[in-house]
Amino acid sequence: MVFSACSDYLDVNTNPNGPQSVSANLYLPPMLHWMVTSPQYDGRFVGRYTQQWTLPGTSLSTWDRMGYDPGSDNGGQQWRDVYWSFGQNLVDMNTKAQAQQRWDLLGVGQVLKAWGWQVLTDLHGEIIIKEATDPTRTAFDYDPQKFAYEEVQRLLNQAIVNLGRTDGLVDQTYLARGDHIYNGDRSKWLKYAYGLLAINMSHYTDRPSLYNPDSVIKLVDKSFTSNADDALLAYPATNNDDMNFWGPTRDNITNYRQTQFVVNLMNGTDFGVVDPRMSRMLAPAPDSQYRGLDPNVVGFGALTASQRPNNFYGYPTLPPSGAPSRYLFANKTKMPAMTYAELQFIKAEAAFRKGDKVTALAAYRNGVSAHIDFVNARNLDDNQAVTQISAAEKAAFLASPQIIPTDPNLLTLTQIMSQKYIALWAWGHNELWMDMRRFHYTDVDPATANQVYPGFRIPTALYPDNGGLPVYRIRPRYNSEYVWNFAALQAIGADKANYHTKPLWIIDPSQP
Amino acid sequence: MMKNRVLMVLLGVSLFAATGRAQQPQKTVTGRVTGDDGTPVPYVTVIVKGTNVGTQTNTEGRYYLRAQEGQVLQFRTIGFAQEERPVTTADVVNVQLRRVATKLDEVVVTALGQTEAVRAIGTAQQTVRGTDIAQAQRVNFVNALQGRVAGVQVNSTSGVPGASTSITIRGTSSISSSNQPLFIIDGLPMDNKTLNTSVLASDAPGSGSAFNNRGVDFTNRAADINPDDIESLTVLKGPEASALYGIDAANGAIVITTKRGRVGGGLEYNNAFSVATPRGKPELQRVYGPSAVGSTTYLYFGAPYPAGTRFYDNIDGFFRTAFTQKHNLAFSGAATDNRINYRISSGLTREEGVIPNSQLNRINLTGASGVQVVNWLRADLTMNYSYTTNSQALKGFNGPLIGLMVWPQTDNARDYLSPAGTRRRITNLSTASEVDNPYFSVNKNHNDTKNNRLIANLGLLFNPVSWGNLKTNIGVDTYTNETEVLRHPESALGATYNGVLDRADDITRSINAQTVLNFNDHPLFGGLSIGGFLGNGISDYKSSVDAMKGQDFLDPNFVSVNNTTLRLPRTTLSQRRLLSAFGSATANYNSYLYVTVTGRNDWTSTIPRPRNSFFYPSVSSSFVFSDAFPTVGRFMTGKLRAAYAEVGKDARPYADRPALEFKTTSYGGFGYGFTGPNPDLKPEFARSYEFGTELSFLHDRLGVDATVYHKQTSDQIVNDIRGSYGTGFVLFNLNGARTRNTGLELMLRGTPITGPVFSWDVVANFDRSRGKVLSLPRHLPESYVSDTWLFGNVRNGNMPGLSTESLTGMFYLRNNQGRLLIDPTTGLPLRSSTFINRGYDRHPDFTLGLTNTFRYSKLSLNVLLDFRKGGDVFNATDQYLTARGLTMRTLDRNTPRVIPGVIRDGNENTDHPTVNNIVVVPSQQTNYYTAISEELFIEKDINWVRLKDVTLSYTLPDRYVKNASVFVTGTDLFLITNYTGLDPIVNGNSAAVGGSGGAGIDFGNFPTPRTFAFGLRFGL
Repeated sequence: MVFSACSDYLDVNTNPNGPQSVSANLYLPPMLHWMVTSPQYDGRFVGRYTQQWTLPGTSLSTWDRMGYDPGSDNGGQQWRDVYWSFGQNLVDMNTKAQAQQRWDLLGVGQVLKAWGWQVLTDLHGEIIIKEATDPTRTAFDYDPQKFAYEEVQRLLNQAIVNLGRTDGLVDQTYLARGDHIYNGDRSKWLKYAYGLLAINMSHYTDRPSLYNPDSVIKLVDKSFTSNADDALLAYPATNNDDMNFWGPTRDNITNYRQTQFVVNLMNGTDFGVVDPRMSRMLAPAPDSQYRGLDPNVVGFGALTASQRPNNFYGYPTLPPSGAPSRYLFANKTKMPAMTYAELQFIKAEAAFRKGDKVTALAAYRNGVSAHIDFVNARNLDDNQAVTQISAAEKAAFLASPQIIPTDPNLLTLTQIMSQKYIALWAWGHNELWMDMRRFHYTDVDPATANQVYPGFRIPTALYPDNGGLPVYRIRPRYNSEYVWNFAALQAIGADKANYHTKPLWIIDPSQP
Repeated sequence: MMKNRVLMVLLGVSLFAATGRAQQPQKTVTGRVTGDDGTPVPYVTVIVKGTNVGTQTNTEGRYYLRAQEGQVLQFRTIGFAQEERPVTTADVVNVQLRRVATKLDEVVVTALGQTEAVRAIGTAQQTVRGTDIAQAQRVNFVNALQGRVAGVQVNSTSGVPGASTSITIRGTSSISSSNQPLFIIDGLPMDNKTLNTSVLASDAPGSGSAFNNRGVDFTNRAADINPDDIESLTVLKGPEASALYGIDAANGAIVITTKRGRVGGGLEYNNAFSVATPRGKPELQRVYGPSAVGSTTYLYFGAPYPAGTRFYDNIDGFFRTAFTQKHNLAFSGAATDNRINYRISSGLTREEGVIPNSQLNRINLTGASGVQVVNWLRADLTMNYSYTTNSQALKGFNGPLIGLMVWPQTDNARDYLSPAGTRRRITNLSTASEVDNPYFSVNKNHNDTKNNRLIANLGLLFNPVSWGNLKTNIGVDTYTNETEVLRHPESALGATYNGVLDRADDITRSINAQTVLNFNDHPLFGGLSIGGFLGNGISDYKSSVDAMKGQDFLDPNFVSVNNTTLRLPRTTLSQRRLLSAFGSATANYNSYLYVTVTGRNDWTSTIPRPRNSFFYPSVSSSFVFSDAFPTVGRFMTGKLRAAYAEVGKDARPYADRPALEFKTTSYGGFGYGFTGPNPDLKPEFARSYEFGTELSFLHDRLGVDATVYHKQTSDQIVNDIRGSYGTGFVLFNLNGARTRNTGLELMLRGTPITGPVFSWDVVANFDRSRGKVLSLPRHLPESYVSDTWLFGNVRNGNMPGLSTESLTGMFYLRNNQGRLLIDPTTGLPLRSSTFINRGYDRHPDFTLGLTNTFRYSKLSLNVLLDFRKGGDVFNATDQYLTARGLTMRTLDRNTPRVIPGVIRDGNENTDHPTVNNIVVVPSQQTNYYTAISEELFIEKDINWVRLKDVTLSYTLPDRYVKNASVFVTGTDLFLITNYTGLDPIVNGNSAAVGGSGGAGIDFGNFPTPRTFAFGLRFGL
């Protein structure tokens, strides 16, 4: 009797600060938050590789030189979120959803799993998949990128089946409790799954035997049909963590400035027409001119204070709390995970490569038009300090033959990829960098003999460890792997000083 | 449940009492105890042999006691041979004690509040008198222990009032958990928690505004005790001595006995008034002006200041002379037969810090009373209430010292507000980036705590039988700690969030009950006797922290969460329950050979069943060879000790299973925390043995107490050890570390001169210890406590084969001959991109505390010097300033130089490496300073001599008052060290951090000021 009493007495070790298990839909909100937000964390660094922006300082930053920060977790946020924020939570959610026949939630879970492997392999190349999420293991082998791509396809095909089901406990209300992107609408998640599969399939362009433009076009057509399908997360902005990462309160992008490269894409330098989106996306200097910085120049170079571009909020320094901001850089701006415009550019490229220029031009035009609407919509999300692009401005821009050729045969890869770059600028870092790597940053369009990315220059002072090569991948997260899983890193060569310059399998047909 | 246990105990006691034999009538025995020379001997312990009934003689040597005819009275005190007298028909028993050259008959406190003569103790322990502690005039009494006990290391976090102090005995053995000893007050555990910032709402997982135990410090709660209430403090050094206290005493125990009333008490009053001034300040260059705005404020790599530039001495003007006053008033007394005794006391402390707005105020009210209810029952109640308010400046990078040093010397920092009353700015950096003006920091940011605490302890002693007694104690230690940390909306720390206000109310209570059945020493045969005890204990600790954070202030200066627009509440509950059963038996052969065997079994709530029940034994032996061999005893007294002990230790609550956390990301929901599951968690064990000897010569004028020990911890639980994220988690709580601690403790005492007019006593406490990591769980290469990674890339990394107090970092790369590798493009040394070992160890080679006491007539002088040899200190403050071009070492910035080393060109590890010949001019290539490795700022082998405290006191004639004296005390008056920073006693974290913590990491830390106190004491 005494011993059973003792047992009860000692039975106080169930953590009262949090449950051990919850209803399946309650695992979803943090994961959806990270699916949208995590790429922005790493976007600070990828954005410098891709010269969306630069970080002026007293010396050139490592990332502006296509390097990295040794011993730092910078560039490892998606690694963290896929393995930890998803990790066991996603396993538990999918297990419960399956057991409870919640096929819609299971489908969303499979989409998340696929999304995770897709972005991680695109950032890092070889990643841990088969052995992942096993708390008893002490070492984790890396799986090749080829497998990662096939695993994403496998998961998305399963998701497509599950999201098509209406039997079991499929329940929009239940799903909506955790899903604040599509409010539980499985038909939109189905389109999202098709879109993600299209993105996956579109990356094989450097591996012609595996690239199938027809299936890419088919998948895009089953996916988003307008901006209304865009996967957008609205930030409640009630505290630090549920606020847009780019908002002034988060103060994460305050010291960054736009590059010459992105300004030239929009100010007429590259295409002869001033893009009406420039003044709604980029930041003017105090003298109202739009300038960009050269990432090869330390700090602001010779620019005077009034010539220096403002930060992306539109101010020389961090504005006071509550001051209106711009575009995607406001506290409550909705951030996308995937957009209709993005997919239309993917379709345009596939059709272009296939030789179907008519389809390519139509999709391309849809992409530019839809992104102009997207910019307008975003600039209304949080009372941003910029005007709307008027219908007349939009019509005039779309009527410019330098932007939208009248003859489908005049359409160029440079136009498609540059407009896609603008449409992905400041949010679609994973896809944007994948695009640039597919074109090895400075590939020339054989049809025009012009660079696909006009005027893009590899940094002149590359990071010392690069050995003169541009960056092609981010190293696995330092504090996950470099101390605690080092043997596996050695097996893939990630212990080498220039590992980050090793091209990905998907863009390097010389790799088996 | 708790109540039932108590009832069971009480019921058992009454049954036990009922079986007692009929009582002989008791009577009052009185008498006078004198020495060889006929002078009265005060404080002699007089007990009825075989019972716990006892008293002490008063200042006239008189005693009063209730006893029965046929019983035997024992008279024992330090320095005199024990005497025994039977109680006969006479009511007066006078005794003359013979002074002997031995301390062996001194009665001291041992484990579980038992008392024992020194001769019977087979383990290392050392006692400090309460008067010595109080005399040091430390507000936090723990700070008075450094140098007074061999093997004890005291590390105060900073010199700010209320700063936490960590104390370790025999070095660091746990990699991630606390290495601090258990505090025991009047037989029951006392909480010594330093609030961990992890419970603040700002430190919720994922928060961007976390403190990580770096930016703020809170008091270690043992400091709530009034030093003036301490009668004696005994340090049980190793598991051998503390094994019976169980799993919380694996790092030793500090056993405090509080003062009680005695016959002939009365009123006692003492006070102290002190003045503190800062000791030293960093030297900053005044040659080169600012070049650019860096990431926090100016960089000083610019053109020389023009002649005639006006400089402001911002540092000198900043500190203040701080005044502290303390008053203690106590009333005490006892009935002449000692059936009733009482002591009530009050203490008032008002301490100012040298940093403006820092202070600590404390009120202590204590009452202790004892009563002989009936012949076989004695009851004892102590209540200790304290109310402490503390205001500290923020700490480290958040603190004012960094701003004080990097603030332009050409600008008057005192002028910290704009005409509009807002923060005055000097750069075009954003509000969050420009370092805070120190004046702004201390006036607008704050860290305030209020602590209400009650420690109550009820003891009952039943002794209806002659063969033993039963002692039961139940106590509660409970406090409410209200913390408020403000980062002002305009300060660099708060600007990003437009102000952050953290509030946390920690309600901690711990209930402890302990019952011990004592069996008196029972003679067997041939000089052999045996005694011992059996007992059980119940412990229930619970802490509830209600925290909240308010962000985005409306009115920037109104401090209330109600004034914020973003609010985040957070609750953290923690509970641990422990049941234990224990026993001890001592065999005594002719009072010169003792063998003690103990055993204890614990049942803890924090380990999964059935591994939560574990038993561990100890055995110790004492051999007084000078009594065994009288020929030896003519020249000396001597004792040999040997002991072996095992002690188990449990995990922190909830360590085995992960819980889901509410996520503050968009739309809430749940997700796992960082820590993964470990269903196989089991207790860790330490196995320890020690040998020692206590010798005295020349009639006790020269004494030696030496101990060597060896302790190995296996299956050690490492909390928050990392693994690959492939696990699905970030951190784990794993068994599997092994550490080893070895050392030598030496206490020497001598009385070079003794006489009625002049005497001189010396006590030296020497300690040499080593702690080594033998292995880590899962063969992981490194484990560290993340809070210690507080500056650059250095942390308290533990790797197999290294000291338990090592530092790892991204140090310079070297070739196979140990020469620096140089980057061929810059001419600067290359740094490792991973954390590596370069042999840095913060643990000292040895420490020595030296106390000299001189008495001349009514004048006495007590001097404690603290010596330390070796141990590395990371001077991060110096690196921070060097990277900004502010230290004197940057003055040769225009001198071209070649860094000795070899070029990393592929030949670096061949027989013919390319020797570096690239000339660097730091002023042109400022990353010479800004990218410099922390390695150059880890100062090796830091030694010091420190005047810890010195007291001169004069005893006044007993004409109008008694026991009157006046005194002057100085603390930390001088420090001689090879450390280039302000003070090598630093902690980059607080005492809340486990493992080796942030001790020896100096970043923006304020040293302990120099303090001069005077006061008086008297009685009526």
